[in-house]
Amino acid sequence: MASDRVVERRRVFQQYKADVKERGKPFYPYAMFHDTIMSLVVVATIIGLAVIWKWTIPGAHHIGTEPGWLGKLYDAPADPGTTNFVPRPDWYFYFLFYLLRVFKWPWTVFIGTIGLPNVLLVLLLAMPFIDIRSERHLLRRPVALVASVLVIVSMGVLTYKGATAKEALGSEIVGHVPTWAAKEGFTGNTPALAGAKLFAVSGCLNCHTYISDGGENLGAPVLTAEGAKGKGIAFQVAHLKCPACVNAGSPMPSFVGLGDDNLKKLAAFLEASKGVGKH
Amino acid sequence: MAPRSQTPKQQLQAAITYPLDWLEERSGIVGGVKYFLFRKVPGDVNWFQTLGAATLTAFLVQALTGVILAMYYKPTTGDAYNSIQHITNDIWAGWLVRGMHRWGASVFIILMFMHMGRVFLFGAYKYPRELNWIIGVLLLAMGLGEGFTGYLLPWDQTAYWATVVGININGTAPFLGPFLSQFLQGGTYINDTTLSRFYSIHMLMIPGAIFALIGLHLYLVVRLGVTSPPWSKEAAGTGSTEPPSSTDGRSGLVSPTPRRSAD
Amino acid sequence: MQQPHDEHPHVPGPSLWPIGFAIGVVVLLVGLIISPWWIGGLGAIVALGFAFLWVRDLTRGTELTHAPEVAPESAAARPAAAHEAGSPPERYPRAKFLELSTLGLGGVIGGLVTVPALGFMVLPPFLKQGFKDIDVGPLSEFPEGKFVIVTFASDPAEASVSRKTAFVRYNGPQNGQPSFTIISNHCAHLGCPVQPNGPLDQAHASEYKGSAIIPTVSIAGFGCPCHGGQYDTEGNRTAGPPVRALDRYSFSIRNGNLFIGKPFSVSRVDGTGATATIHKWTFAYPGEHVSGLESWLYPIQPPH
Repeated sequence: MASDRVVERRRVFQQYKADVKERGKPFYPYAMFHDTIMSLVVVATIIGLAVIWKWTIPGAHHIGTEPGWLGKLYDAPADPGTTNFVPRPDWYFYFLFYLLRVFKWPWTVFIGTIGLPNVLLVLLLAMPFIDIRSERHLLRRPVALVASVLVIVSMGVLTYKGATAKEALGSEIVGHVPTWAAKEGFTGNTPALAGAKLFAVSGCLNCHTYISDGGENLGAPVLTAEGAKGKGIAFQVAHLKCPACVNAGSPMPSFVGLGDDNLKKLAAFLEASKGVGKH
Repeated sequence: MAPRSQTPKQQLQAAITYPLDWLEERSGIVGGVKYFLFRKVPGDVNWFQTLGAATLTAFLVQALTGVILAMYYKPTTGDAYNSIQHITNDIWAGWLVRGMHRWGASVFIILMFMHMGRVFLFGAYKYPRELNWIIGVLLLAMGLGEGFTGYLLPWDQTAYWATVVGININGTAPFLGPFLSQFLQGGTYINDTTLSRFYSIHMLMIPGAIFALIGLHLYLVVRLGVTSPPWSKEAAGTGSTEPPSSTDGRSGLVSPTPRRSAD
Repeated sequence: MQQPHDEHPHVPGPSLWPIGFAIGVVVLLVGLIISPWWIGGLGAIVALGFAFLWVRDLTRGTELTHAPEVAPESAAARPAAAHEAGSPPERYPRAKFLELSTLGLGGVIGGLVTVPALGFMVLPPFLKQGFKDIDVGPLSEFPEGKFVIVTFASDPAEASVSRKTAFVRYNGPQNGQPSFTIISNHCAHLGCPVQPNGPLDQAHASEYKGSAIIPTVSIAGFGCPCHGGQYDTEGNRTAGPPVRALDRYSFSIRNGNLFIGKPFSVSRVDGTGATATIHKWTFAYPGEHVSGLESWLYPIQPPH
C-alpha cells in the first residue's frame, strides 16, 4: 500500500490534469506565441552580439587580433612552447577558474578542481530526491530559497572575481615602466629605471602589486610606496637575498640568483618608489 | 472529386486537407502534431516559462551554425587556425555565422542556467517531473561539455592553453584521472589527434546525446504538462471550482475566460 | 482422384525454392561467359537441386505422388496409432530457445561491432607512447651556471604541435661527465607555461635545427602567472598551489651535442647544481601528487 504522501500527490496530479483539461488554454496559439517572441529576442541577441563582436574591432577592415568591445576575433596561433601567455577559459567557466585560486594550498588542489564541482553536480542531480515536500510556493520553502540565493550570489561573485583576476606577464608589464617612472617620479634615476625593468620581468608581480599591476592572490604587500617606509638600500638587498632571515616567517622565496648588481638596482627602484604623485 | 456545387473556399479547404489526410492515414503524424499544438496548458502560465523554448531556440541556432561552419572548418593542427581566419575574414557572412556560433554558445548556457533556476524556483522538479529534472541536469552538463570541447577548435593560444588546463583539471580526479586526461589528449601531450577527438566529441558525440535527451525532455513536458506558477491563485492542481477571475489580466500570459463564454 | 472442378484452385504456397533455382540459372549463365568452367557446373547443380525441391513442393498434396491410406487391420492398433499421431511433449520449448538465441546472437553482433570500435577509441592514447631524444645543440651553447631557454619539437614527425620549452643549465662536470639541470616549463599545478623570474638576453637569441634558444642574464627562480605558483632555481616549489617540484628531462651527450630525452616528475630536490639529490618519480600529469599521503589518490600511471 502506498503511503499517504504518495496517495496525496497522485491525487493532486490527477486534479491538475482535470484542471488543465477544464480551464486550460490550447498551447497553440496562446503559449506558443509568447515562446515565439522570446525566441525572436534570443535570435536577435545572438545576431546582435555577433555583429558587435566584429564591427567594434578597430581598424579599417575590422579584422585581426586587436580587441573590440567583445574581445578579439582570434588570438595568435597556438604555441605549445610559449613562456608568454596566461590561459583563460570561456567566461561561463570563470567561477570554476576562480575556485582554483581560492584553493591555493597544494593539498587542497583537488577540492577546487574536481571535488567541489562534482559534489555540486551530484546534489543537483539528486535534488528531486532530497526535496520531497510537495510545497511549491517559494515563501514556504525557506531552505530552497536560501540555497538558491546563496548559489546564485556565490556563482556571480566567483564569476566576477574570475573575470577581474589579474596576472603579471613580464613581457607585457615591462612596457609599463615609463608610466611607473612618471607617476612615482624616478624617470631620471638610472639605477631605479633598470631596477623597475627587473622588477617587471623577475616575477615579483606574481605576488606583489605595484600601482595597478600585479596579482593580489597570495597576499603579498603592496609595493607602490615601499620607498616611503625608509628601510634603506642595504635592508632591501639583504631582504631580497634572504627574506625569511630578515622577516621571520616570510613565505617569499630568495632572489639571490639575480646577482648583486641586479639586486642593488632593484633596491634602488624600491627605495625610489615613494608613492604615486609623491616625489 | 469535389462536386461542382462547392464554393471556392470549400474547394481550397479540401485541397489543403487532402494531403494532410493522406499523410495521417499512412503515418499518424498529423494527429501527433495536432496533439502537441492544441494540447491544453494551464491558463496562468508565466513569461518565465518561455525560457525553455528560448533555450531550445539557442541550441537550434548552435546546431545550424555549427553544421554550416563545419563545411569550411579544417580540423587539423596545421589548418584549423587558417580556416578560422578564412571564415572570419574572407568568406561571405562567415564572420556572422562564426560570431553567432560563438556568442550563441554563451547565450545557450546563460539560458540553460536561467531555465534551471526558473524550474527550481517554481518547484517544477517535484513529483511527477523528477525524471525531467535529471534529464535537464544532464543536458546542462553536456552543454558545458560542448563549450569546453568547442573552445579548442580555433587552435589559437587561448584555445590551446585553456584546454591544457581543462584537461589537467580532469587529471586531478583520483584513480582514473590520469587515464581520463590521457584519453582526452589522445596521448601524453596535446597533439594532432587531440584536435580530431575534440572535434568528433563536439560535432557528433555530445550533440547526438543532446538531441536524444532534448527529445526525451520535450516528450516528458508534453506528457506530464506544464506547471502553473506557484503564486497563482488559479493554479492547476489546486482544484478550485470557483470561476476564474476575468478582471485580473496581468497574472500571467493568459487570463482564463469565464466558462460562460462561447469557446 | 481429385474432383475435376475444385472450388478453390490449387495455388502453390510460398516457397524459397524458385529463388534458389533462379540464382542457379544465373550462375550457370555467368559461368558460360567467364573463365573457370566449373562455375557453370556449379550453377547447373544448384539450379537442378532447387528445381527438384520446387517441383516436389508443387506436387505435394496432389494424388499424383500420394498413396491412398490403408485402414489399420485390427481395432487394437487404432488407439496406438491415434496416440502416436499426437505430438510428444516438447522437452525444450521452442519460444524460449528463440528468445535466448536472439538475445545471445544480438549480444554477439553488438560485441563484434562495438568492441573493436571502442578499443580503437580508447586504447591508442595508451599504446606506443614514449619520447625521442632531441638534439638541441652543441655543449658550447650552454654556459656554466646560467639558464638557457630552449624551445624544441619533441617529436619531429609532429613538428610544431609537439613543441616544448625547457630551462637548461649546465652545472659543470660531475664525475667526469657534464651535468645538466633541464627543467620543464609546465607548471606542476595545472600545466600553465611557467616564466623565468629574471631578465632575458634576447640580443643573443639563436636557433639550432628549428629549436629556439634564448640565453638568460640571471634567474632567481620560476613563476607561474596562472595562480601564482613560485619555484626556486632547482624547480622546488616555494609558494603557491603547485603540488610538487617542476618536472625535469633526462638527457644524454652524443658527439658533443646535448640531447634532451624522457621527462620525469620530481617531488623535491635537495642541494643545488651538479651535486643535487633529485627525488625522481615516474612522469605524472600536473596536479597529481607523487609523494606523501595524497599520492595514494593516483596509484597507477597510464603508460607514457
